Amino acid sequence: MRQTVPLQIEVNGQEYSLTIPPDRRLIDLLREDLGLTGTKEGCGAGECGACSVFLNGNLVNSCLVLAVEASGGKVLTIEGVARGEELHPVQESFIRNGAIQCGFCTPGMVLSAIDLLRNNPGPTERQVREGMSGNLCRCTGYGNIVKAVLEASGAKK
Amino acid sequence: MNVVGKSVPLIDAGAKATGAMEFVSDLNLPRMLTGKILRSPLPHARIVSIDTGRAKSVPGVAAVLTARDAPSYTFGPSKASPDWEILARSEVRFIGEEVAAVAATDPDAAEEALSLIKVEYEELPSVFDAFEALQPGAPLARSDKESNLVFRFFVEKGSVDQAFQESDLIIEDTFITNQVYQAYMETTCCVAAPDSDGRLKMWLPTQAPFICRLTYSKALGMPEEKIHTIQIPAGGAFGGKMESNLHIIAGLLARNTGKPVRIVNSREEDFTAGNPRVPMRIDLKIGFKSDGTIHAKQVRIYAGNGGRTVHAPGVLATACYRIDSLYRIKNLRNEGLLAYTNTVPTSAYRGFGNSQMIFAIETLLDMAAEKLGQDAGDLRVKNAYQGGEVTVHGWKITSCGLPECVEKVKSAASWTEKKKNKIPGRGLGLACTNHVSGNSAFFPDFHGSAAMVRVSREGRATVFSGEADTGQGIRTVMAQVAAEVLGLKIEDVLVAPLDSDLVPYGLGTWATRGTVNAGKAVQAAAGDARRQLIEFAAGLLGAEAAKVEMDNGFFMAKDNPGSKIKFSDVCEKAVYQRAGSPIIGQGFFVPDTVTPDPVTKYGNQSPVYPFGAHLAEVEVDQETGRVTILDYHAAHDVGKAINPIQTHGQIQGGVAQAVGWALMEDMVTAGGKVQNPNFLDYRIPTFADLPQVNSLLVEPVDPVGPYGAKGIGEPALNPGAAAVLNAIYDATGVRIKELPASQEKVLRGIKSRVQGGSQGAGKN
Repeated sequence: MRQTVPLQIEVNGQEYSLTIPPDRRLIDLLREDLGLTGTKEGCGAGECGACSVFLNGNLVNSCLVLAVEASGGKVLTIEGVARGEELHPVQESFIRNGAIQCGFCTPGMVLSAIDLLRNNPGPTERQVREGMSGNLCRCTGYGNIVKAVLEASGAKK
Repeated sequence: MNVVGKSVPLIDAGAKATGAMEFVSDLNLPRMLTGKILRSPLPHARIVSIDTGRAKSVPGVAAVLTARDAPSYTFGPSKASPDWEILARSEVRFIGEEVAAVAATDPDAAEEALSLIKVEYEELPSVFDAFEALQPGAPLARSDKESNLVFRFFVEKGSVDQAFQESDLIIEDTFITNQVYQAYMETTCCVAAPDSDGRLKMWLPTQAPFICRLTYSKALGMPEEKIHTIQIPAGGAFGGKMESNLHIIAGLLARNTGKPVRIVNSREEDFTAGNPRVPMRIDLKIGFKSDGTIHAKQVRIYAGNGGRTVHAPGVLATACYRIDSLYRIKNLRNEGLLAYTNTVPTSAYRGFGNSQMIFAIETLLDMAAEKLGQDAGDLRVKNAYQGGEVTVHGWKITSCGLPECVEKVKSAASWTEKKKNKIPGRGLGLACTNHVSGNSAFFPDFHGSAAMVRVSREGRATVFSGEADTGQGIRTVMAQVAAEVLGLKIEDVLVAPLDSDLVPYGLGTWATRGTVNAGKAVQAAAGDARRQLIEFAAGLLGAEAAKVEMDNGFFMAKDNPGSKIKFSDVCEKAVYQRAGSPIIGQGFFVPDTVTPDPVTKYGNQSPVYPFGAHLAEVEVDQETGRVTILDYHAAHDVGKAINPIQTHGQIQGGVAQAVGWALMEDMVTAGGKVQNPNFLDYRIPTFADLPQVNSLLVEPVDPVGPYGAKGIGEPALNPGAAAVLNAIYDATGVRIKELPASQEKVLRGIKSRVQGGSQGAGKN
C-alpha cells in the first residue's frame, strides 16, 4: 500500500479534500486528480513555463511544486481566469492579436502576462520581453504575444 | 472579399485561451492505462536476453511487451528503406530505441516495471558521423545491412566540367548544418484504445493521419479499415510529427490489454528519441561569370540518417536540387549520400533539406558578392528565375515575387546607407529562399486534396477535410474559404474533426502544402454547395439558375431584385423538402504536378512556389562574441495572404527558429548520446533573444493558388541562418560555415583575426 496524506486545497475558488501520495506534483493534482487539464506539461523541469499557475498569489511552475506545499493554499489555474463567459482582457487581447497558434504554451503565457501586468501595469516592450522570458513558445516567435500584452496593459505601441 | 484576406482570430483561439481545448495528453478515457517505453541505453548492441518476469508482477501492471509480443512485418515510413521494428528484435541501433513497453494503471507502477526489466546487451562497434560511416572500413551501423549507405541521390544536367572551365570565379567550400530539434511545446504522445466494434482507435497529434494509418496498418498487420484514427490538433509539429513508433506501441499495448493506453514522451525522451533535423556536410562548388551569373554548380552532401529510416531520403534529395529552381542553374552535378549512423533517426524539420542547402548557398553567394564587388541582393535577383519560366528540373514558376522581397527588406533596413556608413561591431546580412507548396516526390501516387462542405438547414456550414492542423491554423483558412464562397460569417462555419470515418483521405500538412491544396479543395467544395443552393433558390424564385445571385445573406433574381429569399430560409426549405437531405458540396484540387522522373528528376513538383528574403542586423560584442539581433526584416512572397495576422505569425515563428539554429541550438552528442536533452542546456530563443521582427508580405496574387495564395510555413525559416551569419561576417569579418554560430565560435573567430590567423571556422 502506497503511503498517502490528506490534503485541503482551494482551486479556482472551489475547496477540495483529497488523499494523495506525498510525492504528487501540483501539476498532476490539477490535471489528473481534478481534471483541470488547461495547465500543460512542456518539460517537467521548470524550464518552459507551460505549467504556470498562481499559488497564494505567486506565479509558480506547478511541475516543480509538490502538492503538499500547496496544502491549505489557494491556486488559480487558466480555468479560473475567465469569469464565466467573460474573458479576461489578457485573453481577449491574445485572441485579437494573433498571439495564439498551437495553443500549448497559451495557458502559461496568459497567467504569466497577468502576473507581469499586476506587478508592472505599464511595461515597456523590453520589460515584457524580459519579464516573460520564462515562458517558451515555439510557434509564434513571440512578436504577437508582446503586442497582445502591451495592448492589454493599455500602452500604445 | 469579406473573410478571405482579413485578419481573423483562429477559430479555436478562444478554446486555447481558456485552456478548454484538449490535446492528446489531456484525454482521459475510462480505465485508461499509462504506457511507458524502455529504451536502449547503448548506441549499438546485440540483445542477448530480456527478462520481464519481475516487471510483470508489479501491482497495477497490465502488460509488459517485447518484440516476441509484436508482429514482425516489414514496415517503415520510407518505401525505399522500410527498416523499422516496433520493439527491437535482436539488435539496437541507437540510444533511445524501443526495447520493451509497459502498460499499468498508474505512472509509478509503469516506471517501477520498467526499472525491473532486465536486458542483457552485447555492445557492438558504432559509427556516429555520416562522412565517417561511408569511409572504407567503417563499422556497420546495422548488422542486417551490408553497408551504411541508405540512399544515394544523383542528378546531372548540362556540361558541368566545361562550365567550370568557362567560369571566371569559382568558390568551393564545405558547410556544416548541425542536428537540431523541432522543440514543439507538446511532446510526442498518443492514446490508443480497442473499439467496441473490433477496430483499433488511435488519437494522433500528427501532421499526416492517413499516411500514419498506412504505415501502422503494415506494422500491426491490420487492414487499414480496422484502424480508426482521430487527428487531434497538435501542440506544434514543424515536420517532427509524422509517423512515430510511439503511436504503434500504444496501439500494440491497447490491443494486448484490451484497454485504452496513453503514452506521453517526457521532454528528455522527446529530445533523445524524436526525429531531429538531418545533419549535413555540404561540399559546394559554384562557378560564376564575371557579371555574377551562376554558370556551374557541383554539390556533394553527406547526410546522417540515424539508426533507422524516417524521411531523411526525401530531405537529402531536396537539399540536392531544390535550389536549382531558385537560381537559373543549367550546368549542375548534385550528389547526396545518406548514411546509417548509430544515432537517433533523423527526419523532416521545417525546410526539409532546403533549409540546409539554403544556408550553404546563401553563405557562398555572400562570399561571391564580396569577391565580385556586387551588391548581395542584386546578385540574388540577377540569378533568380522569374514568373513564367520553367526551371531546369521542369518546375513551372507561375509567379515570383523575389525581387520585391529583396527590395522591401533592403529598404526597411536602410541597407544602402548602413553599408556606406558602417558602424564598428554592427553588420547586415541578407539571404533568399524558394520553396514548394506541396511535394509530388514525397508521396508519388497522390497529388492534391479533396473536401466536402455540408450546409445545414440553419444555413451554417461544416467543412470536412483530411488536412491536419498542428497550430499553423489550416482549419481557420478552410473556414475562411468556405465562408467567403458561401457568403457566411466565419462564426457560422465549423470544421469537422479529422476523423478517418468522416473526412476525405488527406495527405496531411507538410511541404507547406496546406493552404494551397486544402484551400483549393474547400473552394471547389463550397462552390459546389453554392451551385446547388442557387439551383434550389432559383426553383423557389421561379427564375433561371443562371440569373440568380447570392449576396449579403439573400438569394435574388437579377431581373427581379424585389423578390428575394434569405439564405437560411433556402437552406431550411432545401432540407425539409428533400426529407432531411443536407446540401453537400464536394470538390477537389488536382494540381498540375507530376511525379518526378526517377532518373532525370524532371517534373513539376508543386502547384506554386513561394519565395522570400531575410535581412538581419546584428551587433557583435568584440570582447565576448555575443551576437545581438538588433533588427530583423523578413519579406515573403505569399501570393495572397488568406489571413494576414496569422501569416505574419508564421513568418515570425519561422524567424525565431532560424535565429535559434543560427546562434544557439545544437544537439551535443558524445558516443551517440545527447548530452543536452532539456531546455536548460539546449537553448531555444526566448522573448529576450529577439527584437520585434518586421515581417512583410509580398502578394503577386498567383494565378494557381486559392485566391492567389501560396504557402508560408517552411520558407519562413529557410533563409534565417544565412542572413544572421552573413550579418556576423559583415560585422566582424568572421565567416562561420558550421552551424550554430555559437558565442565561442564567434569569439574564436574574432581572436584569430586579431592575431592575423586563419579566418573563420568550420572548413573541413
